[in-house]
Amino acid sequence: MVPRCQVEVLYFAKSAEIAGIRSETISVPQEIKALQLWNEIETRHPGLADVRNQVIFAVRQEYVELGDQLLLLQSGDEIAVIPPISGG
Amino acid sequence: MLLFEFGIYSENNRLPLKVKDMNEVEEKSKDIIKFTSEKLSVDEVSQLVISPLCGAISLFVGTTRNNFEGKKVISLEYEAYLPMAENEIRKICSDMRQKWPVRHIAVFHRLGLVPVTEASVIIAVSSAHRAASLEAVSYAIDALKARVPIWKKEMYEESSSSWKRNKECFWATSD
Repeated sequence: MVPRCQVEVLYFAKSAEIAGIRSETISVPQEIKALQLWNEIETRHPGLADVRNQVIFAVRQEYVELGDQLLLLQSGDEIAVIPPISGG
Repeated sequence: MLLFEFGIYSENNRLPLKVKDMNEVEEKSKDIIKFTSEKLSVDEVSQLVISPLCGAISLFVGTTRNNFEGKKVISLEYEAYLPMAENEIRKICSDMRQKWPVRHIAVFHRLGLVPVTEASVIIAVSSAHRAASLEAVSYAIDALKARVPIWKKEMYEESSSSWKRNKECFWATSD
């Protein structure tokens, strides 16, 4: 049985409009690949498939691409869905 | 969306100064980062980086244009992932200090609605001589556009609004 944890997912810009929320707490395996984490999120909000190729994660405020990187998560960790930025 | 003022002041004692006489006080380099929904002031930001050791202050001011691809833009609306945006800007300041002998750095970004012609970002950098601050300011705005988690939405007069994407964004290629 893979241990799980409760992480907070934050949505911004277009992803927040699609998901209809700014944040939520979800239960995920403590060890999970970035792409698998995205799939969990997309399952909850199928509309996010539209932005799958444009977004990146920020895990504990560090950028992580939606790929094979193995994430080691703890309860309370913050995961942000980051659409293409446009500051400045 | 909750908008609030959030200022960070951090001291960065990177350049120790020899005390030449009893009146000269060691001046610590400052990185001043602020997010606010209020109108930005070029005067206020440039005042923050003044130093008696510096002969140059360079500024970048980003303002809202009234047009995009033939559409009339009424205003921009900005949002940010605040704690991470501050940290990314702090990292940019650190990079600047590794590359150039700059003294003080101030980065102010506005959040919420920014009407056309008003400033959305002001970056001010001071240095002893002008080459360093001119180059550092240019680097700073390019880096901000590439990696700081801030988003803007353009509100058009005739059509629906759209979330913009910087060409500098380091992970998303243009359509």
